[in-house]
Amino acid sequence: MEDDYRPLLSSGHTAESLSHRGSADSLDFKAKRPFHVEPRNIVDDDPQERVSAEAAILNSRVHYYSRLTGSSDRLLSPPNHVIPRPEEIYIYSPLGTAFKVTSGDPSSKNPSIVTIFAVWNTMMGTSILSIPWGIKQAGFTLGILILIIVGLLMLYCCYIVLKSPKAIPYVDTSDWEFPDVCRYYFGKFGQWSSLIFSMVSLIGAMVVYWVLMSNFLYNTGQFIYNYAHNVNMSDSQFGTNGSDRVICPYPNTDPGGNTTPTITTLILDGNGTSDNSLFKNWWSKTNTVPFYLIILLLPLLCFRSASFFARFTFLGTISVVYLIVLVTIKAVRLGFHLEFHWIYATGFYVSEFRLLFPQLTGVLTLAFFIHNCVITLMKSNRNQEKNVRDLSVAYLLVGLTYVYVGILIFAAFPSPPLFKDCIEPNFLDNFPSSDVMVFVARTFLLFQMITVYPLLGYLVRVQMMGQIFGNHYPSFLHVLALNVLIVAAGVLMAKFYPNIGSIIRFSGATCGLALVFVFPAVVHMISLKRQGMLRWPSALFHSFLILLGLANLIAQFFM
Amino acid sequence: MSTRLDFKMLYSDGALSHPAIAVLLMGKSGSGKTSMRSIIFANYIARDTRRLGATIDVEHSHVRFLGNLVLNLWDCGGQDTFMENYFTSQRDNIFRNVEVLIYVFDVESRELEKDMHYYQSCLEAILQNSPDAKVFCLVHKMDLVQEDQRDLIFKEREEDLKRLSRPLACTCFRTSIWDETLYKAWSSIVYQLIPNVQQLETNLRNFAQIIEADEVLLFERATFLVISHYQCKEQRDAHRFEKISNIIKQFKLSCSKLAASFQSMEVRNSNFAAFIDVFTSNTYVMVIMSDPSIPSAATLINIRNARKHFEKLERVDGPKHSLHMRMR
Repeated sequence: MEDDYRPLLSSGHTAESLSHRGSADSLDFKAKRPFHVEPRNIVDDDPQERVSAEAAILNSRVHYYSRLTGSSDRLLSPPNHVIPRPEEIYIYSPLGTAFKVTSGDPSSKNPSIVTIFAVWNTMMGTSILSIPWGIKQAGFTLGILILIIVGLLMLYCCYIVLKSPKAIPYVDTSDWEFPDVCRYYFGKFGQWSSLIFSMVSLIGAMVVYWVLMSNFLYNTGQFIYNYAHNVNMSDSQFGTNGSDRVICPYPNTDPGGNTTPTITTLILDGNGTSDNSLFKNWWSKTNTVPFYLIILLLPLLCFRSASFFARFTFLGTISVVYLIVLVTIKAVRLGFHLEFHWIYATGFYVSEFRLLFPQLTGVLTLAFFIHNCVITLMKSNRNQEKNVRDLSVAYLLVGLTYVYVGILIFAAFPSPPLFKDCIEPNFLDNFPSSDVMVFVARTFLLFQMITVYPLLGYLVRVQMMGQIFGNHYPSFLHVLALNVLIVAAGVLMAKFYPNIGSIIRFSGATCGLALVFVFPAVVHMISLKRQGMLRWPSALFHSFLILLGLANLIAQFFM
Repeated sequence: MSTRLDFKMLYSDGALSHPAIAVLLMGKSGSGKTSMRSIIFANYIARDTRRLGATIDVEHSHVRFLGNLVLNLWDCGGQDTFMENYFTSQRDNIFRNVEVLIYVFDVESRELEKDMHYYQSCLEAILQNSPDAKVFCLVHKMDLVQEDQRDLIFKEREEDLKRLSRPLACTCFRTSIWDETLYKAWSSIVYQLIPNVQQLETNLRNFAQIIEADEVLLFERATFLVISHYQCKEQRDAHRFEKISNIIKQFKLSCSKLAASFQSMEVRNSNFAAFIDVFTSNTYVMVIMSDPSIPSAATLINIRNARKHFEKLERVDGPKHSLHMRMR
């Protein structure tokens, strides 16, 4: 009989046509979810279960419950967590075939190695250029110790940030980031303050980028000009002799030493022909180059979408790898120059333990900072239960990279003719613009920064405009105004205070205070207290973390 | 509201002459009682009744089941002061002649202390007015809890509730309208309310074996909750009871729109034949025969004869006789 396989109840249509319940029963299909399950044939022994038992019974419930309320009433509509996952749903075409929707989820799962690499790649920023300077400021031994300790502390804080959404009961936190967690615990205050501190780190990074880009562009232009005009700049700068020149750009500004350098002031403006001085007027690191960059970068900032620039993240990896290779070669060529003076510094060296160590902690707070996006990054890890292990491995690799670069540059810095104090916050500044290998490094970094700068600008724009106006691109004028402000900050810093060490440590300590130390520790303590599991050693330790964060920030102002 | 056809039309057999025995369905407002009642009893929820906030249920007490039990819904511990006063002033009336108290807890509630307080005051009223009542606690909306935490949270609540309910004994269930737990909990409750259910089950087994049925189900009449069943071989679909219940309730809803009432149904194809029919005053029966060669008439005669036998059973240890004695 052909009626055999017709379902007992047709899916509501015949019943609907019999009633005239008025507008309450109008065909409001928008409110009904398109969820249909084909009738199961349980008589034949069908080995392939195309319809799972749960789906079949859910279908029965959905059909029944939809008869109990008006069609536009959502009281008995199935909530999202009850509907099967997209991978389990078939889409039926009118021609009778059915196909599965491939998981359109863009964040498909990655193996551990890829996640570790993504975390390492995100954390590796321009702070790697300041690590040797930071180690110099803290003293060699103390610097290494601090690097290890700060790395471990920040890893622990990252771990509690990662854990924080899961400790929230009764709420679906699967697409929450850390600012959402702050909003859950602290309300509007938490949301706004975590946003503001996030902005501090982003805008700080953008200012550093501007300073560095001016620096690299200047040096690149200088190299090309010197190469083209065959000018030799070697005697106008204080430095070593030989093929692997290391220079000390500002030998007079030597804070700790009592000895005055025997070779006195350098004449920056060279023994110039009129050509040279004309070039120097038009191509100056602080006066003109920062402004040339505006022409290139301000239009890029105003793009609506940043996905084009996201393709160039590989440049960052290449730059870091190249830097590691460069550092290794330089160390091999220059040799090690290390002497251990524990408390009192001699002229050429610095002591092993210096009071300026908070400058290093400030730099490291930004160097190890990933806390505002770690949840998103680890979400695409295939083995979620290995998240802690993978995060620790990533932090270990980042720490090793920093230690490697820091130690090699510090140790290889030729101390007898030069002072260790000469190590610049951007260690590439210690090499002349005529150095070919360093020129290549500067060019790589310049290109990489030109592609990352619009990405950072996009992140700032999305978060600020999203919070203030609710719309990511309210109007061209709004976006332009924001971009002009950011660019102006960068240009002003590049002109008047191009010391990236200070910019990094201040912005690192500020955003670290909130997003690394205070918020994660407080959130962790509150969630433990709510579960009734807060013990006094744990409370003591986390309060100590908060104090550390505060001390870190306050100490920056006294250095 | 008055244009809806309640099931009182199906039960207007003069049973209204003696005062009803109540099943109280209580809980905080918003805990899901109205949805639960609507799903179990196939009541249409009109939007306007929900907008009132607190459920004023006085005129809805016509949902009858198991012959003589009347379901009353009350919001306990709501914010509405008018409701609070009404509730307190009517307390003795509400809690008199109560056979069953079903108290619904919302598992998501943030005010656990308050919930327990209101529950305890309901228990006090029960102890004063109907000390022999059975108490059931439903921890509802469990689908909102993560799967791996459900057992833990339910065990915690169950311990607390059992402790608070002394000297009364309460039975706890965890429920959600989005899985089979609601149907199973209410089936267990109804099973405990039928006085001679073991005897019914034995007789049902004999009946099934005599007529060579694959499966025989006994449903409660108003809710189509399965009271008892007998199957002679393994059935593949574990959710078949709930599915049948849903299908028949939808059919009853359609019938009621035409002012018709559902009496019996026969479904037949080349592989099986199913018969659903009125059985006793409280129950329906469903018989599944997998031998299609047996003519329908034969099975229907068997069912009719069995009906007389089961009715005698019910009348002798009449389910509500003991309760009638207790009525003043």
